[in-house]
Amino acid sequence: MSTRVEMKDVRKAYGDNEVIKGVDLQVQDNEVVVLIGPSGAGKSTVLRMMNGLETTTDGEIYVDGKDIAHAGKNIDQIRENIGMVFQHFNLFPNMSVLGNVTLAPIELGKKSKAEAEKEAKTFLEVVGLTDKADAMPASLSGGQKQRVAIARALAMHPDIMLFDEPTSALDPEMVGDVLGVMRRLAERGMTMVIVTHEMGFAKEVADRVVFFGDGKILEQGTPTQIFDHPQHPRLQTFLKQVLEA
Amino acid sequence: MKRKWLWSTVFASLLIVLGFMLPQQRVQAAEKTYTIGTDVTFAPFEFADKNNKYVGIDIDLMNAIAKTEGFKVDIKPLGFNAAVQALEAGQIDGVIAGMSITKERQEKFSMSDPYYKSGVVMAVAKGAKIQSLKDLRGKKVAVKTGTASADYANSVKAKYGFSTVTFDDSNNVYDNVKTGNAQACFEDKPVMQYAIATSYKNDLELAKNFKMAMANNYGIAVKQSEAATLTKKINAGIKKLKANGQYDKIVRKYLGNGSEASQAKKTAAMQETDRSFMGLLKSNWGTLMSGLGETLWLTIVGIVCATIVGILIGLLGVVPNKFLQGVSTTFIYIFRGLPMMVLALFIYSGVPSLIDQKVPAFIAGVITLTLNEGAYTAAFVKGGISAVDGGQMEAARSLGLPWGKSMRRVILPQGVKIMIPSFVNQFIITLKDTSILSVLGLLELTQTGKIIIARNMEGFKIWAMVALIYLVIITLLTWLSNWVQKKVNA
Ligand SMILES: Nc1ncnc2c1ncn2[C@@H]1O[C@H](COP(=O)(O)OP(=O)(O)OP(=O)(O)O)[C@@H](O)[C@H]1O
Ligand SMILES: [Mg+2]
Repeated sequence: MSTRVEMKDVRKAYGDNEVIKGVDLQVQDNEVVVLIGPSGAGKSTVLRMMNGLETTTDGEIYVDGKDIAHAGKNIDQIRENIGMVFQHFNLFPNMSVLGNVTLAPIELGKKSKAEAEKEAKTFLEVVGLTDKADAMPASLSGGQKQRVAIARALAMHPDIMLFDEPTSALDPEMVGDVLGVMRRLAERGMTMVIVTHEMGFAKEVADRVVFFGDGKILEQGTPTQIFDHPQHPRLQTFLKQVLEA
Repeated sequence: MKRKWLWSTVFASLLIVLGFMLPQQRVQAAEKTYTIGTDVTFAPFEFADKNNKYVGIDIDLMNAIAKTEGFKVDIKPLGFNAAVQALEAGQIDGVIAGMSITKERQEKFSMSDPYYKSGVVMAVAKGAKIQSLKDLRGKKVAVKTGTASADYANSVKAKYGFSTVTFDDSNNVYDNVKTGNAQACFEDKPVMQYAIATSYKNDLELAKNFKMAMANNYGIAVKQSEAATLTKKINAGIKKLKANGQYDKIVRKYLGNGSEASQAKKTAAMQETDRSFMGLLKSNWGTLMSGLGETLWLTIVGIVCATIVGILIGLLGVVPNKFLQGVSTTFIYIFRGLPMMVLALFIYSGVPSLIDQKVPAFIAGVITLTLNEGAYTAAFVKGGISAVDGGQMEAARSLGLPWGKSMRRVILPQGVKIMIPSFVNQFIITLKDTSILSVLGLLELTQTGKIIIARNMEGFKIWAMVALIYLVIITLLTWLSNWVQKKVNA
């Protein structure tokens, strides 16, 4: 098992306000890591650092052995191997579903238009939206949008997928569809880092759960360790709050 | 890749601008042609006749001098201030515009020998009680800026206890007396008599108890570097024409024997006969349309250049590079902040002395529009791009698309939709702003209006025509843009 992501004593400050206070985190090949923690703990920031959307103030980040924090122009090439799914989908509203999914492979010269479209159909099948290929994003439901966003990320054949609260903006009845797709990806052996508040899902698919509090990792372990035998008092409080809600 | 594309676009637009300027390089002709500037509103010395041909004592005299002395002249009605500025900047070789010979002017320019001796007269509202300088105590007197009459008024206002109000156009001077805002005005005698003879017959009259004051001599101003050549030829020419009677013939053609009645008769012959709105519209239609043509041409070239420059500068403003963003912000700050008229005059009269190269009025006008409208365009291009949800760029970049590709394929198509109404608005503003370029003497619609009014003094009717034409064009432009907008959004 090789290491996909390696963060070493990563820090980030906005002015004097340090929001990430020394994070060490590794993600192994095929591993599903779920990040949990209270709002403002720094989960999104850490996740976004893994594909360079967020800069670091200090520390090192390697993805597949490549230095992300100092990648310069190579960042684009590294990002091709890291899929990202956002809370608010961020589909391109000026293109059809098919256009969204095929944009990057075509623009980056990975595939011809015909090839890309043919393959896009198979990804849309994975997310269960074959019939929506020609629809415009505005005409889709939230759950459908998010599944298109996943297909769009898959189209670059990434080795790692990052998810930042992929179901938080969805109506409850849509959540299942998206989680279902993610579950299937996990079963296929995709390396995934997921920020989520869906504790049930975390328990079910995570290989490891990482608890963040106040810009630091306060505790990590298997789902059983984290959910059934939490050690850190902050984690205990957090779980209590989440389960009561 | 993307950067190369950007630079080649910048380069191409520079070439276009240079291409405009190239044919303007000085060409040495076999027979020397001098460019002489003149006023547009100084009848009977220079004005457009009812066929909108430039005529007047100054025009005829200048042509006659050129003919006897064997050189060619290109007489440009730039407006008095613009002409003097152009001469100072070396853009033109001389100015003939009923210019009084003063010490100051003699220092700055090479002034010719006097060619006409004029005197200042006072005019008042018809039938007014005020008929002499003494009656002016506590009253207001209207004068035209920079004229000998204005100097005269200032020299005696303390003694007689009146105040002055100044205007750029003779027309405004007379209207103020007519409406009673001012109680009198001072003006050179032939000029005042001309105005009364045209459309102020029932409104103004010469003050009865005012002795013609302060004789002032008109001379032709020449740029210093041509003192030995052009001024010399002009002086010789004036002498010859005065000797052989041609000079008298020219003056008589416009002034008759110089009396009010005699000049009135001559003036009437040069005027439109039908003074109704429709009559004036008909007789000036051709001129107004050629003015409109120039306005449209300026607008189109201006819009194209301003849009290219605006988009480039706007894009620089969103490139992730602090220096380029600074360039963009500074450009917008400077050219949006400068009043357009200042910018136009600076480019037309200021820049040539810096680069030692004439800038033709049209080019100066287009550059002005490009910089000013370009700055506004850049601002809303920048704004339109920033208005696109930040998540769009993040999503595109996360897929591995470089900044340029993300911008072009994802951000710009969305930004442009946001910008379209601003573009339409900017096009309309550009059309209107071309009127400001009349200060450069460009014969666009507004300047054309001024010229017509200088002849017939029918300010109200002619400005109404000009306004109507602008409205019609703007309406058409709005329809066109709505149509385009519908197509784009479809
Ligand atoms: N642009 C910014 N400027 C200043 N502070 C910021 C900025 N972005 C984030 N922060 C701060 O960084 C901290 C971590 O934010 P982050 O978004 O990573 O939290 P999170 O764990 O994802 O929270 P949530 O569950 O609400 O999404 C927060 O305290 C936040 O206020
Ligand atoms: Mg977050």
